[in-house]
Amino acid sequence: MSTPGSPVTLDLHDIQGNIVKAYSRYDYSHARYVLFEITDGQAGRGFIATLAERVTTSAPWGRGSTEERPESTLNVALTFAGLRMLGLPQASLLTFSPEFATGMRGRGAILGDDGPSGPERWDPVWRKPHRIHVLITINGVSRDAIETAYAFVTDITGRYRAGVRCLTGHRDPEGRNDMPYQAASAIEIDGKPTPKEHFGYTDGIGNPYFKGTGEHPENVLGGGKVTRRDATTRAGWEPLETGEFLLGYKDEAQEFPEAPMPPLLGRNGTYMVYRKLHQNVGSFNRYLDAVGTEYPGGKEALAAKFAGRWRNGAPVTTFPTEAEAEAFAQQWMAAKLKIQQTPKGPAREEAKAAFAQLNAKFVAFDYSKDLPGAGCPVGAHIRRTNPRGSLEFGEAFAFDTRGALTNRRRILRRGLPYGSVVDPQDDTGEHGIVFMALGANIRRQFEFVQQQWVNYGNDFRLGNDRDPIIGNHGTTPEGKGDGRMTIEAEPGGGRPPFLCGGMPRFVETRGGEYFFVPSITALRLIGEGMVDPT
Amino acid sequence: MPNIAGKAFAMNLITPIERWQAAFNKIQFWAIRQPILSFSLRGLVTLSMIHYARWAIVQPTEWPRLDESQPKEKLHYAYQLFFSNFNGSWAQYVDSFSVAIPSGLNLLWFRNVGWPKAVPEQPFHRYVEHNEVWTSHYYSAYPMAASNDVKSAQRVKQALTSFASRTKDMEAAAFEQAYNELLNELQADLSQMAPTPIVSLANAAVEERMRQDAEAGDEQDSGRAPAMMGGSHAE
Amino acid sequence: MPNEAGRAYGLTALCPIKHGAEAPQPGKPARSFAARTRDLLQDLNEAAESPMACVPNTYLCRFLVLDNVAYQGDPAKLDRLRSSYLVFVADLHAGKKSEEGLRRYLEGMWEHAEPTVRSLWEHCVGFDTVSSSDAFVRYVKRCQVENTLYFNGSTDEPLAEQLKNLYLKQEFSRFAFEHQGKKGAELQAAFGQFLTRTRPHDLSGPTWKPGARTLDDAVIDPNPPPQYLRSVPTGASR
Repeated sequence: MSTPGSPVTLDLHDIQGNIVKAYSRYDYSHARYVLFEITDGQAGRGFIATLAERVTTSAPWGRGSTEERPESTLNVALTFAGLRMLGLPQASLLTFSPEFATGMRGRGAILGDDGPSGPERWDPVWRKPHRIHVLITINGVSRDAIETAYAFVTDITGRYRAGVRCLTGHRDPEGRNDMPYQAASAIEIDGKPTPKEHFGYTDGIGNPYFKGTGEHPENVLGGGKVTRRDATTRAGWEPLETGEFLLGYKDEAQEFPEAPMPPLLGRNGTYMVYRKLHQNVGSFNRYLDAVGTEYPGGKEALAAKFAGRWRNGAPVTTFPTEAEAEAFAQQWMAAKLKIQQTPKGPAREEAKAAFAQLNAKFVAFDYSKDLPGAGCPVGAHIRRTNPRGSLEFGEAFAFDTRGALTNRRRILRRGLPYGSVVDPQDDTGEHGIVFMALGANIRRQFEFVQQQWVNYGNDFRLGNDRDPIIGNHGTTPEGKGDGRMTIEAEPGGGRPPFLCGGMPRFVETRGGEYFFVPSITALRLIGEGMVDPT
Repeated sequence: MPNIAGKAFAMNLITPIERWQAAFNKIQFWAIRQPILSFSLRGLVTLSMIHYARWAIVQPTEWPRLDESQPKEKLHYAYQLFFSNFNGSWAQYVDSFSVAIPSGLNLLWFRNVGWPKAVPEQPFHRYVEHNEVWTSHYYSAYPMAASNDVKSAQRVKQALTSFASRTKDMEAAAFEQAYNELLNELQADLSQMAPTPIVSLANAAVEERMRQDAEAGDEQDSGRAPAMMGGSHAE
Repeated sequence: MPNEAGRAYGLTALCPIKHGAEAPQPGKPARSFAARTRDLLQDLNEAAESPMACVPNTYLCRFLVLDNVAYQGDPAKLDRLRSSYLVFVADLHAGKKSEEGLRRYLEGMWEHAEPTVRSLWEHCVGFDTVSSSDAFVRYVKRCQVENTLYFNGSTDEPLAEQLKNLYLKQEFSRFAFEHQGKKGAELQAAFGQFLTRTRPHDLSGPTWKPGARTLDDAVIDPNPPPQYLRSVPTGASR
């Protein structure tokens, strides 16, 4: 099947690599995030111009490509304050989106960053947003690769020290709060990096698929937008429009997204949300232990109902029991192993196809057969953050397209866990996730999902109920958590739903900011001081 | 300028239509009102963001004129008055309508002067903003309820009262079974309500200032020092 | 009639405001009647409670002053309104006989919010002759424009029913969460107490107060049962 609509050709050499590639899927299991303040525009521009030469692009690696996969990647993002310090003309600054200009801290009331997520609890470096100007993200295949890239960054920072300063004030697992960078890395089990996060779930499974990335067309399954066809088949999905994720291209509203001026400043760039999210591992485990003994399916099933996925990643709507999920995981492992064990040739291609078919089951589904939520609860995390067409509530053709209320709320998720869990019963300590969300419109995509779908329930007809795992649950006067969730039973069966009350806040914000991720062209324009919207 | 009353947002949109077109549109609306064509409003029902909404097409001669002292309106156009009470933020409402039921909107605003069509969204946004009139005082009887909550509450009440009369003289074991069935029946209605999340920083800042002013007023009345004034949010 | 949808009614009234300005007061610049009317509307927001909370069967309502219509730019023609209008838009429960329901509603408005009505409409054309609820009904009906389409996306029950339902939903949800896993006789007894406390058929209370913005001040009960019948489970005080 060919891609519907006119093909979109992207200049992948001009687009930063973190937009198109989820690095952690390419075995970059280590990362370092570094913040800079610019105190002198000229030095700052020199810094940016130098970085522009070294930024990792979205150009494909390996087979059939001229690009070798590097040991480490380097990407650059700028805040609104940073753009101002770099001397962008006011006429350009005023064309960036209002929420980007306001910044994450100023938007805290919309995001629910209150109580334990409030700015006074953030890492020191994030508490002075006016000084945060540049973010450099380094991903590496090894710790050594990270060190090498970091040394390079330190070196050029030194070269421009007259007006560029690395900001300290990140917390680290040793209890220091003056680190010059945020480290992050995949959680290792038996010395091998895994896609797990600290609550034990497999993370980063679902990511949007959009036109022009050159990704394998099969990835449209589960990654694109739903059609009215069977979601387990290719016909059930179409790629999303490029303009949902990249400025300068047609979006789902059949127009170019609002973008800064001049057009070259915005084109091939996008916005990015960075959030350091602490995970209260002790509270989470204690809650699962306590309520899991009451829940008929037991603790693991309860964890699966919260997320909408079993901890091994199998979607609970497709695999309703732990046994089915386990059997699927074993099949999947076996299929993966078979590829490695099969000699090159048609047999291996066959093994690959069999694996791809299994692999698709992680993402190629919707809730059309599970509307009341007896499989995947209506309030489960992955159903809230990507309802996959279920907001039509089974009223076929009520909306012009089934995915209408979903397609413009998608985000590209990037990032890695940080820290490690020393005591699984302990909330304190440094462990969480550095969450990054990329998209053409922070308000319509990330902020909307965070506010309306994570911290509220009306779109799901769930009143003020929040996302069980990442919702900003409050506290009752008695000091208990006030989070609630209904785990639906089979309708009409006479079995009651299971009600989870008293949930405390499991995830707390520890810092973050809104960034702009310019194209290489735009970085050069900014670095050379040539931005002119007239 | 409160367009917001808790979970409800008041939108007022006044748009011109050629007079002859307005006469035609009134017939079209009449058709939409017929039960047999009620499917045409199914998108609105499924979106379920609206408490109540109305469209009123007013011809130049239909503007109320109460006595001779009031000058007669002389207008080139008929006007479509649209008043809606919806849940969520302005942008959410406008976005959702544009993306979910664009063909429905194109019908309801058929050939209104300057109507850009519901998609693409940016011209549509600008059209709504350009023709919107701000509310001065807005009241909701239930600021903590969305239309979904009101409808859910009706189901709860009905199920609950029927259950109460049905189980009055039941044995404990049978009661337990019937209660579990009640919960199953109501499983989509067991969420709770609370004040709305903040949908507008500007509106939140205004409300906070009013609250502080009211408190300061109370404290002055009771002879204590006034509270600190001024907003704490910036847009 | 397109003014109603089921038993819900959409009143749309455009009340012309007199031209001219108030008589100047010493030391105060005079305000035009239209601007003064808007001042009065804005001032309603300063009170802790809207005066419309006292008017029975008001689901939602709004007031605004319409000074003009927007211009769509060339080649559209420029229209100017010759009067400003006090726009009163109400969504209300009217019952099956809708026009009679509207009359009862407006009578209720006069009865329960007469001072507000008098001050808001004071500067409207011809309002000086209005001095009774009958006259107020007649006046508003003269200002009413007919809806072309009225859409009810909610319910059309009397407001007291809606508020009682909301109260019951909130309380029953709490009950269900707090009594999960309880068995037979214990559950039955607790539910009995729940019914005694919440009185599902008693619309006078306990119920939600019209216009309540927080859970702390939502519940009202004008006729609380004697103390020995009151059993308040934990958490209900929130």
